[in-house]
Amino acid sequence: MAPRGENLIRARVRAPVAWLFIGAFFAVAAAFMVAPTAMLAVQSIYGDDGFTFAFIASLGDYRYRVAFENSLILSIASATVGMIAGGLIAHAVLRPGAPTWLRSAVTSFSAVAANFAGVPLAFAFIATLGSLGLLTTMLKNLGIDLYAAGFSLYSIPGLTLVYSYFQIPLMIIIITPAIQALRPAWREAADNLGASPGQYWRMVGLPVLAPSLLAGWILLFGSAFSAYATAYALTSGNIGLVTTEISNVLSGNVMEEPGTGAALSVGMIVVMVGVLLISTRLGRRAARWTPRR
Amino acid sequence: MSAPNTTPNTTPATTTPARPRPPGFGLAGWAVLLPAAIYFLLPLIMTVTFSLWEGHGQYGFAAYRALLGRPELPTSLLLSLELAVATAAALLFLLLPAMIFMNLYAPRLRPAFEFIATLPFVVPAIALVAGLSALFTGPDWLIGSPFYLVIPYFFLALPYAYRALDVGLMALDLATLTEAAQSLGAGMGQVIRLVVLPNLRAALVGSLLLTLAVVIGEFTFANVLLFRTFAVFINQVGQHEATEAAALSVVSFLITWGAMLGVLLVGRGSAPVAGAR
Amino acid sequence: MTFDRRDLLKTGLGLAGAGLASASGLRGALAADGPALPASLIAAAKKEGQINVIGLPPDWANWGATITRFQALYGVKLDSANPDASSAEELQAIRSLKSQQRAPDVVDVGPSFALIGAKDKLLQPYKVATWKDIPDDVKSADGLWYGDYFGVESFAVNVGVAKTVPQTWADLKKPAYKGMIALNGNPLGASAAFGAVFAAALANGGSYDNIEPGVEFFGELAKLGNLNPSVATPASLIAGQTPVVINWDYLSLGYKKQAEGKADIQVLVPTGATPYGNFYCQGISAYAPHPANAKLWMEYVYSDEGQLAFLGGFAHPIRFNAMVAAGKIPDAVLKTLPPADAYKGVKFATQDQAAKAQKVVADMWPRVVKI
Repeated sequence: MAPRGENLIRARVRAPVAWLFIGAFFAVAAAFMVAPTAMLAVQSIYGDDGFTFAFIASLGDYRYRVAFENSLILSIASATVGMIAGGLIAHAVLRPGAPTWLRSAVTSFSAVAANFAGVPLAFAFIATLGSLGLLTTMLKNLGIDLYAAGFSLYSIPGLTLVYSYFQIPLMIIIITPAIQALRPAWREAADNLGASPGQYWRMVGLPVLAPSLLAGWILLFGSAFSAYATAYALTSGNIGLVTTEISNVLSGNVMEEPGTGAALSVGMIVVMVGVLLISTRLGRRAARWTPRR
Repeated sequence: MSAPNTTPNTTPATTTPARPRPPGFGLAGWAVLLPAAIYFLLPLIMTVTFSLWEGHGQYGFAAYRALLGRPELPTSLLLSLELAVATAAALLFLLLPAMIFMNLYAPRLRPAFEFIATLPFVVPAIALVAGLSALFTGPDWLIGSPFYLVIPYFFLALPYAYRALDVGLMALDLATLTEAAQSLGAGMGQVIRLVVLPNLRAALVGSLLLTLAVVIGEFTFANVLLFRTFAVFINQVGQHEATEAAALSVVSFLITWGAMLGVLLVGRGSAPVAGAR
Repeated sequence: MTFDRRDLLKTGLGLAGAGLASASGLRGALAADGPALPASLIAAAKKEGQINVIGLPPDWANWGATITRFQALYGVKLDSANPDASSAEELQAIRSLKSQQRAPDVVDVGPSFALIGAKDKLLQPYKVATWKDIPDDVKSADGLWYGDYFGVESFAVNVGVAKTVPQTWADLKKPAYKGMIALNGNPLGASAAFGAVFAAALANGGSYDNIEPGVEFFGELAKLGNLNPSVATPASLIAGQTPVVINWDYLSLGYKKQAEGKADIQVLVPTGATPYGNFYCQGISAYAPHPANAKLWMEYVYSDEGQLAFLGGFAHPIRFNAMVAAGKIPDAVLKTLPPADAYKGVKFATQDQAAKAQKVVADMWPRVVKI
């Protein structure tokens, strides 16, 4: 579907400066990202005695299989929770009736909270909801024993709860421009035609937001998939994740196995590329409602 | 621009009359924000409480005093802020033009951009730094300076900045705007400066906030390459101190929040939505 | 390396009191100008003017005091990079920075990493003056690396929260300790955590060749709900989130000292089992930008003064046996360590045994330990 006027632009297109910028970007990316990644790929198949598939094969070990499963589940769960909760909060705060100080406060807080991950976040949650945490103890005194009821901070649901602390703010920041781009005229038109808010969202709002929601979800997935410090501080890697396994073999105090680390990294890349491919396919469908494409 | 909020002048042939629509914040808004506020504030309150603990039921600011007496606090913070500004500048001058031109002239390159924008997530920092160090061993003035970190930081912030800018660019009708401006005689530079950038305000602010957050929080690269950034300092204190670590979390939270508010206020001017008028 | 009970008892070790070890116990034993080292080496070091170290936390085995004293004695500037660097990160720093001015001159790594460093040609040989005092099984024959201090696994208990102090490994299974017992990391990533598994194995019928009972022990702790999976830090121990921590004795005693006035921490080496110990190794980087300083540093660390400094941090210096035999350790200092009985029969696993045990843990742990 060629937008009108595309020919007009095409006529001026071969502006060299455009290709200069694009070319520079790719060159820098190639040198500093692609090359080291290629080195990783090579390292995963080259051992002390030459070419070997042993490292890649070791990814099938129970330990690493569990790690990939856990990482996938945790990333999908926290990305979904973050997308929904973040979307709702962003919408609530960006509504025309919301006070402006609230908007600034939430946006700036989101920027900080998106970065609060790691040991401080883990410690804060352990102090609140850990087995000896303050909230846990308070609830126990009130008769509610969380841990006896099956809740545990040191589980995938628990980790999802903690991850949401930086996933939700991340989504808020990403989705804000998209929500602001929803034209009020559409809402009014829908109202005038008698649509309920639910119908508006189902037939107008969400379809238009869909590409941005998807983009945000991918970002959240990637952010959770590559996160490490928070989960490690919370579980010492007892809930195996790919990132904690990599840190054990590449930057630990007990063993050093660069080949295995490289193989795990290559595995991570394969998963991310897979997610990207799926989302590109979904994205094409979702972008139906975007005027330009 | 206010929408006409009064009753529409069409005869209400449909069943519903014009609803009174002052879109108030309302119950639904608070139903979402209140639990969110509790969820986000509770861990912070815990951290603050622990930072004030001095043992044996006493509370005071001893941890903060001890913390502020450390000379590495301002030096590491300054270094991190400088790196953040440098990284944001690099993204603004290298990434944004490339994205604009890609959207305009080379939409087929989008998958390549997406791939590069997602790659930093999947290559673990510890592996990437090993690869980088093996490939680039000089010159000394580059590798030895902390600003060498801007290169990996550019790529670490890339996924976030790319998404934020992409969402913003998707909301614009870039081709039409550019064509209109060019037909009025604007050169490409003017188009970007006077037409595209103002419309990207919200996305720019968002990407800047995220870049700032990423750089201030980045730990692995700085740590392995032995540069003393703020995150490295936080980690050090966290490994060895108890209440001082909590105090430092609180202090870094407040400082980062201040920086973010600063960016927001500078970028203020509500995002003019293209075509909303 | 075995400790002969007679050697330890001969010097009349007292019981560990609540007293602190501080340099005060050592000051009497230190010469005012430092150890007697070759003047030419000192001069060459002064000319270089700087030394870069890595991975030496100030509160770990009293490195802080050693660093300060070294600078004061020889007037060289000491740059301490990344104090919390893991052994892998220290070797990586050598690989990344090679001979740059910022590159590390000396490293302090675990023995398996010392072997990797030697294999990858990251270290250069140097034999200190007190070479023969260092036991054979903790040094490389060609002088590339040698142990500097060692410790054994201990319990650090926040008595205010835990109420009763566990004395043996079996005590840890009591319901009183639900959610309380933590390690300082992953057994495949943190040496103290790996050591804890080995120590548990030794206490439950295992051996240096068989770590399986240790993994099963932690599996049972997890099933009972006593195992707290979070990473134990000084903060979590003192705040009471992880009131029972299994860690190296010198670290536990250091946290006890740090917690004074805030919380009551008790440290003990569990009875009824052979203690499991491990050591760290010093090595000079093959690319050291300040080689004379590196050598001077080694000489200092292995001198009587340098070795006694470790005791100030509750760590046992590698020349402990020889120094005890020569009567070089003040009684006041010995009193601050856990009782000698606790160190009876400390042996170190060989690197082959450790490597085999790592594979067992890697395979068994995710199957057996379910939190």
